[in-house]
Amino acid sequence: MSQLRYFVIFLSLLTGLILMIMPLPETVQIYRPHWVALMLIYWSMAIPERIGLWFAFFSGIMVDVSQGTLLGQHTLALIIIVYINLNFYQRIRVMSLAQQAMYVFGLLVMGQVVIVWVEGIMGRPIPILAFFAAPFVGMMIWPWIFVILRDIRRKARIN
Amino acid sequence: MKQLHPRARGTPIRALFLMGLSIALMFVDQRFNHLEVVRSNISLALSPLRYLVSLPAITGNWASDWLTAQTELLEENLALEAEDRIINARLQKMQVLQAENTRLRSLLGSSRRVADQVIVAELLSVDQNPYRQLIEINKGTIDGVTIGQAVIDEFGIMGQVIHVNRYTATTILISDPEHAIPVQFIRSGTRSIAFGNGNTDQLELRYLPATADIMVDDELVTSGLGGRFPADYPVATVTSITADLTRGFVSVLAKPLARLDSSREVLVIKPENSTAPE
Repeated sequence: MSQLRYFVIFLSLLTGLILMIMPLPETVQIYRPHWVALMLIYWSMAIPERIGLWFAFFSGIMVDVSQGTLLGQHTLALIIIVYINLNFYQRIRVMSLAQQAMYVFGLLVMGQVVIVWVEGIMGRPIPILAFFAAPFVGMMIWPWIFVILRDIRRKARIN
Repeated sequence: MKQLHPRARGTPIRALFLMGLSIALMFVDQRFNHLEVVRSNISLALSPLRYLVSLPAITGNWASDWLTAQTELLEENLALEAEDRIINARLQKMQVLQAENTRLRSLLGSSRRVADQVIVAELLSVDQNPYRQLIEINKGTIDGVTIGQAVIDEFGIMGQVIHVNRYTATTILISDPEHAIPVQFIRSGTRSIAFGNGNTDQLELRYLPATADIMVDDELVTSGLGGRFPADYPVATVTSITADLTRGFVSVLAKPLARLDSSREVLVIKPENSTAPE
């Protein structure tokens, strides 16, 4: 796969990172979906032989540094998400976007569990209601993410 | 999408290895400082993203400054000059007091306290982990910022630097649940520790005995104990004192004086080491 194609994927990761640090009003912040996780879910579905666990690891480190969390916290969450995705996506991709969205919700909740669990171990306050807010928003926007990234993939002829 | 390549499944072994690696990383990052260099360099690579994200806010501020009417600017200028004169007048008295203080200290044989140097910094409009109180400032090692330096705004202590790269630094605010700052009551000299709990308008003072000499509206300053924060900088004012009859402690809440939510310009304090007694 040519350099350009890797660049496009890398760019989508950077966009995810930017979206995650973009300033939002404090009340809205908890609804911010895990953009990087969504990107990874799509790309590991589309080109699993290129985008897999190592890319998840790398992305996780980027997120940890930009979010100020422990190195490895988001990494662990993303690796779990991508690993499950790599093993299930074949059954999922034949489903409708709505059903896919529910699957994505499940993945995001699992990632959220890992992140919040580590926060709990560190002795920091754990959100209760806010816990499902981010995965829920992620589920709602999944159809758009899927369609947009699929269009980008086709235009860049990544296969 | 293509058929699944047999190799691409992401073998369980690789997954377990990477998961173990992540856990090991978290452990090392939490306990030791070895990974700070790694974090610093990656943070440096990500700095352009932070500036990019801050761009709308910076442009907004610049535009609103540029569009301010000249008359408004002239008025603001006059008001600032007047304030400056008042502050300078007060400063003269302070310099006299400082000189007297230095003389008295040398008479007593104690070490001389030297004024702290400050670095002016601006907040980057970057959101970090929503469960923490962390802010990013636009000065880094290239400007002399190092880990552990105290950060203040014009009203009081904001926090301290915990990560730094060449151009930016991450500061933990005193309201972060993982932060504790040694404080002292101005009026009575009682010493305590103020813990953050995630609210920018509330600090908790724990472990004060019910017999402590404290009142609502008392002012708290840094005590300087622990060597992290320089002494005598304002921290907070007491807002409530509730006696906890089951334990003999009082539960004290205080409101930080620094504008943790809204300050955009901050000062990073570069402490000078005090000199030996003459």
